[in-house]
Amino acid sequence: MLIPRRVKHRKQHHPGRSGAAKGGTKIAFGDYGIQALEPAYVTNRQIESARIAMTRFIKRGGKVWINIYPDRPLTKKPAETRMGSGKGSPEWWIANVKPGRVMFELSGVSEDVAREAMRLAMHKLPMKCRFIRREGGDI
Amino acid sequence: MSDSNTMKAEQRTQFGKGAARKIRRAGKVPAVMYGHGTDPVHITIPGHEAMLALKHANAVLTIVIDGTEQLALAKDVQRNPIKPVIEHVDLVIVRKGEKVVVDVPIHIDGESATETVVALESPTLQVHAEATNIPESIVVSVAGLPAGSQLLAGALELPAGVELASDADLLVVNVTQMISQEALDAELAGEEGEAAEAPAAPTPAASDSES
Repeated sequence: MLIPRRVKHRKQHHPGRSGAAKGGTKIAFGDYGIQALEPAYVTNRQIESARIAMTRFIKRGGKVWINIYPDRPLTKKPAETRMGSGKGSPEWWIANVKPGRVMFELSGVSEDVAREAMRLAMHKLPMKCRFIRREGGDI
Repeated sequence: MSDSNTMKAEQRTQFGKGAARKIRRAGKVPAVMYGHGTDPVHITIPGHEAMLALKHANAVLTIVIDGTEQLALAKDVQRNPIKPVIEHVDLVIVRKGEKVVVDVPIHIDGESATETVVALESPTLQVHAEATNIPESIVVSVAGLPAGSQLLAGALELPAGVELASDADLLVVNVTQMISQEALDAELAGEEGEAAEAPAAPTPAASDSES
């Protein structure tokens, strides 16, 4: 699972969720991609789950790229704890994804296979997504 | 793309995001036209026609401003990442017969040998081509290529009148051996095991000061 090896600060503020993606909105490596249509925090487990779903479906053909990285820690206070006494302990690692961001890419398979593999992967993700492919005018 | 699409443009007098948004609301696209040492001309072009004309890479448009025709190549098209809307277009003035440097998409044709995976390492190739005769795509055949084959830019067959502008040693297509079934099974099993065993709350590997 993706996890930063070393961090400067253990606990961070919650990342901002407003606005659209500033970059990474086009397919960069593969032929097909999954693009986010809503903002969301994607955990490293969700990223891994989506990747496994795709790899399992495409079997031995094709190549998968992951364009997001869960580099932001989210903290949580234990259940039934009184307020105060400082910030909770880090609980999740998340990637802060904004609308328009291409999160996964795929190549080396036919479009039908890519569509189905990515449909399965989209079910593992916490936001509305869509399947995109490299267009003629969009190079 | 050799099709020239004619569209009437109007010169812009108001600039900035407010004016640009007003233009977009009216179903038009703000654009700028420059090149050949001329001053940039800020124009608006019809949105629907622009969308149809710019479906292909390297579209050459005939822009009519106040009755004067000008041939222009779409150099940069800014699209909204979510909505199917063109936000701005950069047009470079070109002349008939002039050679321009453009990025042409590469399409893979054919099927490589069994048990291989074809990876397109460079989705576009930079070429010198006549502005009015830019190829829509460059087709690369991978039929029957065995694992370990590599196609470099210099070895590709280009259409007549087109010369390579990028490095001849640029790797375009790489054919690799498919991962074995055992390796895939082991990878998937290993990952699932690792995911199940992973702690629910991974603590950041704190190193330096934490206040």
